Amino acid sequence: MNNRGALEIRNVRKTYSGKDKDIHVLEDINLSINPGEFVSIIGLSGCGKTTLLRHIVGLEAEYEGDILLDGKRLNGPSLDRGIVFQDHRLFPWLTVEKNIALGIIGKTEKEKKEIVDSHIELVGLNGFGKNYPYQLSGGMSQRAAIARALVNQPKILLLDEPLGALDALTRMYMHRELERIWKKENITMIMVTHDVEEALYLSDKIVVMSAKPGRIQKVISVPLSRPRDRAGHDFADMKESVLEEFMLHTEHHFSFAI
Amino acid sequence: MLSIDRNKVSTVFLGLLVPLLLLITMEVVGTTEILPSQIIVPPHRIYALLLDMLSTGELFGHLRCSVVRVLSGFAIGAGAGFLLGVLMALVPRLQRALTPLLISFNQVPLFGWVPFLMILFGIDEQFKIVFVSLAAFFPMLLNTFEGIHGVPIVYLEVARAFEFNNGKLMRKVLFPAALPSIFTGIKLSLGFSWMSVIGAELIAASEGVGFMIVWGRQLFQMDIVYVGIITVGTVGYVMFRGLEVLESSLMKWHRKNV
Repeated sequence: MNNRGALEIRNVRKTYSGKDKDIHVLEDINLSINPGEFVSIIGLSGCGKTTLLRHIVGLEAEYEGDILLDGKRLNGPSLDRGIVFQDHRLFPWLTVEKNIALGIIGKTEKEKKEIVDSHIELVGLNGFGKNYPYQLSGGMSQRAAIARALVNQPKILLLDEPLGALDALTRMYMHRELERIWKKENITMIMVTHDVEEALYLSDKIVVMSAKPGRIQKVISVPLSRPRDRAGHDFADMKESVLEEFMLHTEHHFSFAI
Repeated sequence: MLSIDRNKVSTVFLGLLVPLLLLITMEVVGTTEILPSQIIVPPHRIYALLLDMLSTGELFGHLRCSVVRVLSGFAIGAGAGFLLGVLMALVPRLQRALTPLLISFNQVPLFGWVPFLMILFGIDEQFKIVFVSLAAFFPMLLNTFEGIHGVPIVYLEVARAFEFNNGKLMRKVLFPAALPSIFTGIKLSLGFSWMSVIGAELIAASEGVGFMIVWGRQLFQMDIVYVGIITVGTVGYVMFRGLEVLESSLMKWHRKNV
């Protein structure tokens, strides 16, 4: 299977016209994402990382510049991009199975069932297909949301702080699961997060964004071998260098204060 | 499990306790003639009359007549309210055009329409059914509109991201999300229908439970009035509980979710 998407973001700007002045949410965003890469976008609240992701999904339509998926300019949502939101957004009135089946279009019932079953297995929810979302834990709900996003075999899976609402241990467990799914599906993944360790554990490339205006401050590639060892020396070094990106800002402010 | 059962028993017991005390008080007051027994009829005489009217089929005749009126009026009024509610939620321009008028109409007490409706429809069956429809219309309209209008944006975004067409959006998102509210509309609407049919029969009728009550007063046979009131209350209670049972079996997800 090879339906990995390449994403090219060129000179993307997004401005909201405010009352007194315009608010530059995104400015001069340039980014290339290779097929099959795992990329994290990281930054403080208000840096525009979620806005950027919503543009890639197509939920925010108007923008300047170009976002190209395999050379084609994006214009609105499409099934070639799957999305997992922070709040799982499963429909509470449907069972897990039916929630997952929602994304499937143009298949027979038999094919549908096979696709749903294989994705329930992929995300490790065997035996929970008939359950309703209120019967699932936070981690299980996100697994179901991931399955729902993958059933159409999108070229890119977009994840908007998918593990942000989970407790620390569940989150670490889900990191492993996400990595496994990413490898198995052989798909491009872009994840927004504010967790440096999460980004380091999963990503080939970390995009650090800064706020006001929202722009890319630095793109850091993570050459560590997988599976990564959180306690390892290299991991700690890389973590330090990513954190530095944020601490630089603090020092900057500090020197002004003196 | 045991504590749940005990809870249930105590709910039923408490629910029966108050009516039982009321009946005992009436029996004491009526038989001792503290108040005239023509006015406070002792329950054992009401019961005897109830049995008598049941065995002759008289009560059933009145009841059937009222129920037919309620069901026809409810079907017309709630049906129209539902359709207009859906349309107004889907077409914002229609909503803006109709809201001021509908709000003012809703301020008019139901009985304020009676003279107008009598001139238009006379005092026969047609009048009663229109009157009941009017009573059923507004609660259904309001709750259907609120339900669909209030579907959370987060679910609509999921529908957009998965490229739902309008039919699928209606079936899978808008309608199920609005169902709890629509059910509230049905319950209110049916309750109002039942009250209004009795009202209409008090005004002008030759058959029906409402007519029975007026007729009892005219003959100064208060026991007939009591049988009428008890019938109205009991039938209303059964309708309400029936809808509640239907509601919770249709929407297992809802109670747990909210």
